[in-house]
This record gives sequence, structure tokens and C-alpha cells, in this order.
Amino acid sequence: MAELRYAFYTGCSAKGVAPELYNSTKLVAEKLGMELIELEAATCCGAGAVQEKDEFLALTINARNIALAEELGLDLLTICNTCTVMLRETKFKLDNDPELKEAVNEVLREAGLEYKGTSEITHFLWEVIDGVGLDRIREMVVKPLSEFKIAPFYGCHIIRPQYLIGYEDPDNPKSIEMLIEALGGKATDHEARLACCGFHSFWSAEEKVTLKLTALDAESAKEEKADFMVTPCPLCHTQLDAMQPEAESRIGVKIGMPVLHLPQMIGLALGIPPKELGLDKHVVSTEEILSKV
Amino acid sequence: MEKFKLKVFRYDPTKDPEPYYKTYELPIEKGMTVLSALFKAKEEQDPSISFRYNCRAAICGSCAMRINGHATLACKVQITHLLEKYNTDTIVVEPIGNVKPLKDLIYDMDWLVDKLKKVKPWFIPKEPPPPDGKEYRQDPYDHHKIDFASDCILCASCMSDCNALKVNKDYLGPMVLAKAYRFAADSRDGAKRDRLEAVLKDLNLEWCVRCWECTTRCPKEVQPYENIIRLRIMAAEEGYKTPGEIHAEIFEKDIYKRGLLNEMLLPMRQEGVIGAVKRAPFGIRMMLKGKVNFADFLGGHKVKRIEEVRKIYEKAKEKKKYVKIKLPQIMGVVYEDKRKNRKRANFTEKLNETANK
Ligand code: SF4
Ligand code: SF4
Ligand code: FES
Repeated sequence: MAELRYAFYTGCSAKGVAPELYNSTKLVAEKLGMELIELEAATCCGAGAVQEKDEFLALTINARNIALAEELGLDLLTICNTCTVMLRETKFKLDNDPELKEAVNEVLREAGLEYKGTSEITHFLWEVIDGVGLDRIREMVVKPLSEFKIAPFYGCHIIRPQYLIGYEDPDNPKSIEMLIEALGGKATDHEARLACCGFHSFWSAEEKVTLKLTALDAESAKEEKADFMVTPCPLCHTQLDAMQPEAESRIGVKIGMPVLHLPQMIGLALGIPPKELGLDKHVVSTEEILSKV
Repeated sequence: MEKFKLKVFRYDPTKDPEPYYKTYELPIEKGMTVLSALFKAKEEQDPSISFRYNCRAAICGSCAMRINGHATLACKVQITHLLEKYNTDTIVVEPIGNVKPLKDLIYDMDWLVDKLKKVKPWFIPKEPPPPDGKEYRQDPYDHHKIDFASDCILCASCMSDCNALKVNKDYLGPMVLAKAYRFAADSRDGAKRDRLEAVLKDLNLEWCVRCWECTTRCPKEVQPYENIIRLRIMAAEEGYKTPGEIHAEIFEKDIYKRGLLNEMLLPMRQEGVIGAVKRAPFGIRMMLKGKVNFADFLGGHKVKRIEEVRKIYEKAKEKKKYVKIKLPQIMGVVYEDKRKNRKRANFTEKLNETANK
């Protein structure tokens, strides 16, 4: 088996509003035999916000983040869709433009660093599937999720755009469905499977756009009678779970759709106690899920 | 000969109370596009199917449709590829999304034209043409800035699948914003300020949710979302203090001060005291769930090697104005994970395996 060691890039959310993501990732990784070396010196990826103000700064900061993984000689593993696409964007641009790479390195050298382009950027979901492998996962399941209908919510930045992601067909991705099946659960084919949670226009268009999208997404999972939604992205999670009450008031309908982080779902099937996975930390109650585990 | 099903959205408002779908069985022919399949169905089975087309070569932009849920040019995609891609025997053809269907696959275009007019999609020269009778000139980098955006064929595939437009039809949308960028960024254009005003009306430019659907759908290489980013950079440079700009400033400051974003203090800094009050229920909810890190209210912890971060930050800010960042070429590019021996998931195959188990 290939060595499953990664430079672990947590991102801001897992260190801020989603501690349960951080904790469940560590627990599940350990069970699956993945070694995560945390990049404690890494900064925020800019989340698209810095990119829309000062592109060069965003590229430089992320080149530094990747260089930290290169120092360890490891690939960089994220647990957030937006971190993935922002770091990949930096890598793609620097690897394809020697002049730009040199300009960024001139800045990094001032601090004794260099971006070489030797580390890949990968996401926890992909490493679970390709690194650990679904067959191995199947063997490790002790509490199959057979009681559950689960609504996969990919989140934009783990499928689009293809020139930065390319892991699977953005029009018809299947990775989360396959994982759900390996864990013994049943995936729903709901309308909002590939839709957007609305997170990124929250501060400018909360009422006009964001909350309407959030509500549509959660409702769509409910229509298919899903027991819960699952997402590989903490920003989608914040939007769909913590902001679900706001989304409900926006459309005047009660939804009450629980949302799990990807590692929490895996953890349940691997028999990790729900409390350790932080299932009590969600805004939309997960009690019904707990009663079925 | 092997056959496939072409399931077509049908609607004639003069006689149908509701739209419906009609399915045509056709032989699978090598190289057959969805547009040629539609022709075949029309010629051999049902002359009443209506759709727009012209060039049949992905140039004119007339034939955009939603095919198996995603907008694209019907003359550009092949039946055999689609059947394999969706692992199906049925191709579903609908009008593009976010528009009013007029008849079958034909939709109302006035809506798009009205939106386009708002950004004055024509060149407004800064100065009279050069006296020597030559054309307006431009240096290569200035040309590069608008090169991709100029390739738009107004097919509206991006408008069809835009997430922000899906829930708010007042959004200008990617096609229109890309067009606004194409002229605002033109070094010879004299109406940059007006164009920015037009896209910033009701903060329209910032309704974009960064879903990247537009760039993914575009059959050319326009990269509408990437152009939207550039419009926003332009607005910031012109001194517009929008919520997006304030948000970006908070991110920059936090990267400098502590490395990571302080999410707990964000509402207060973004919207002031009013914001903090408005967001109080959210904050309390997060606290009750034990999601809040109390240290964050006092500024929070710093990442390691923060001095290094600050040095890099300062240098990057100094160097910024000398760097010419190019838009990447993305036509047909699928990101390639360069790790050797990287296992590639063949999902169709694996799914079938799972199904058989
Ligand atoms: S990135 Fe923005 S403009 Fe493009 S499709 Fe998404 S919301 Fe629409
Ligand atoms: S930007 Fe691309 S998808 Fe949108 S209208 Fe233009 S050519 Fe079509
Ligand atoms: S017919 Fe002209 S683009 Fe398809």
C-alpha cells in the first residue's frame, strides 16, 4: 500500500466555526491509516475574496502555503472545496507561467522560501477514494449506513472548473455516491446535487441570492426524503446547517434538514461514537440520525 | 443498428396548456451531433419540432440548449460521447435555463438583449482615431486582457446554468458582465467609470456566488467568472467601497495580523454595530453549540512563522504593480494531477461493479 502521508492544510473554517470538521477528520484519518502532518504555519487561502482585490498577493500567499508542503516533501491535503480550488489556481498559474512563478519566487526568497511546483493539491474525499480505496473502506465498515438515505451535496469547487479540478466529470460526478454505497448507505439523486450553497455572496446578496439558494438546496434533499445531506466543504456546511434557520425564514418554510461533514459520515460507519465526531455541534438537530445509528 | 432515445421538451403555448416531453428513437450514428439528431427527428418523424440553429459549427451561438441538464451548443456535442458520459440510452434536450420558452427549444431573447443594453456593449472611444488614418493601437498585454472576453458568441449557455440567476432574474449574469468587462478593460475605451457604475447598481456585480458554472459551460474560452473577478479588481482600484471590497480588506488584514481569518469578529467588522446586532442570533446559536472559539473574540491565535507571512505580504504589495498576470488558456484543459502512479477513478466502471455486487 502506498504511504498515506499528507501535509494537512486545515483552512480557516475547521479552525474557526467548524471545529467538529477538524476533529472528525483527524479521527477518521487515523482509523483509515492516513497520516496528517498539520501545516501550522499555513495561512488563509484568500477564499476568493483576496483574489478579487489583489491577485498577486493571493498567488504569493498560496505559493507560500504550497511551499510549506514542499518543505516536507508531501502532497498538500485540504478539507475545504474553496481552499482546494484557490490553491490549485495558484499552482496552475505558476506552473504554466515561468515569468509569474519567478516574480512570486522573488518575493518568497526574501523570506528564505521557494515555490518549486513539486507538491500536488488534493482533497480528503479524493484520498479516501484513491489513497485508502473503496474496497478497504468496505472491509472496515462496522456500522453500515443501511438505514439512511443520504443526499450528496458536492459544493461547486470540488467539481468546477475543470481546468483546476478535473478529478471527475463536473456534469456527472459520482465520487460521493460511490463512497456512500461503500459505507452501506443509499444516495439520493436530488435536484440540487451539483448546485451552489450561496455562501460566497452572503455579504452582498444575502436576501437576494444566498439564502434562496440555501433554501432550495435543503428543500431539494427533503423532497427526496433524505435523512441528511453530506458535504465535503465546510463553507457549504456553514451555509446549509448554521444558516438554515435564516434560509427557512427567507422562504417562510420549515425545512429541518440535518447536514453532515464528509468525515462525520465516514466516522459513523466506522463505528466512531457520534459525540466524538461532533454530531451534537450542528445547528439542525441530528438526533433522528443518532437514533438510527 | 443500435438505437438511442432523444427526449425533447415540447411546448406550443397556442395549444399546449403545459410543456411535455416527447421521445424519438433514432439510430446511433458515428459523429452525429445533438443538432443533427434533432434534424433527423424533424425530417423523419415529426416536422413540428422547433429549434434555432445557423452555422452548425459552434460559431454563431444560436443552438444553445440544455442537454442532460447542462447547457451547451447542440452542434458541438456528439451523441456517442453523451451516451457514454451519462451512462444512459437517453439524451434529454430542453431549452436553456433561466429563460422564458416560446416554442419547444426556442426561448425569448429580448430578456438577454435588455440586460446587455444596460452595460452599453459597444466601443466608446477615449479619443479620436490616430490622425494618420490608422486604427487605434494597443500594446500586447492590454490586448491580452480583453482577448478571451472578445470571443463571446452570445450563446447564453452561461446564463442558463448560472446559480445566482437561478434565484434572482435581476442579476445581470455572466454573459453581460463578461461583456461589460470586455469594454471596461479595453485600453482604448473611454467609458470605464460608466460601465462600472452600471454593473455596481444594486451591487449587481457582487451577487455572483463564485460557482464557476459559467466558465464550465462556455463553449468558447471567454471565462466569464474570471472576467467578473477582474471587474471587481477594477472596481476596487477605482475606489468603490462595496461589501465585497470591505470583505476582501478584512481577509487581507487577518492574513497579515494572524494568518487565518477571524470568523467570530467578521460580522462586526463587516457591517459595524448594526451588523453585530443583526447577526447576534447566529452568534448565540454557534456559542450554544460549542462551535465558537472564545479566544477568537480577543483576536485569536496566530499561525506559526507569522513574521515570515508579514514580510511576504509587504513585499508582494510592493511588487504587485510590476507584475503582469495573464489569464490562462483553458480551452479543453482538464487539470492533471501530476503524481506518478496516481490512481485514476473510472467512475462508470466502478459504479457498474458496485451495482453488480
Ligand atoms: S460564477 Fe457567478 S456569474 Fe458565473 S455562473 Fe456562478 S454565480 Fe453566475
Ligand atoms: S460567455 Fe461563453 S457561454 Fe456565455 S454567452 Fe458568451 S460564449 Fe456563450
Ligand atoms: S448552430 Fe451555430 S453554434 Fe450551433
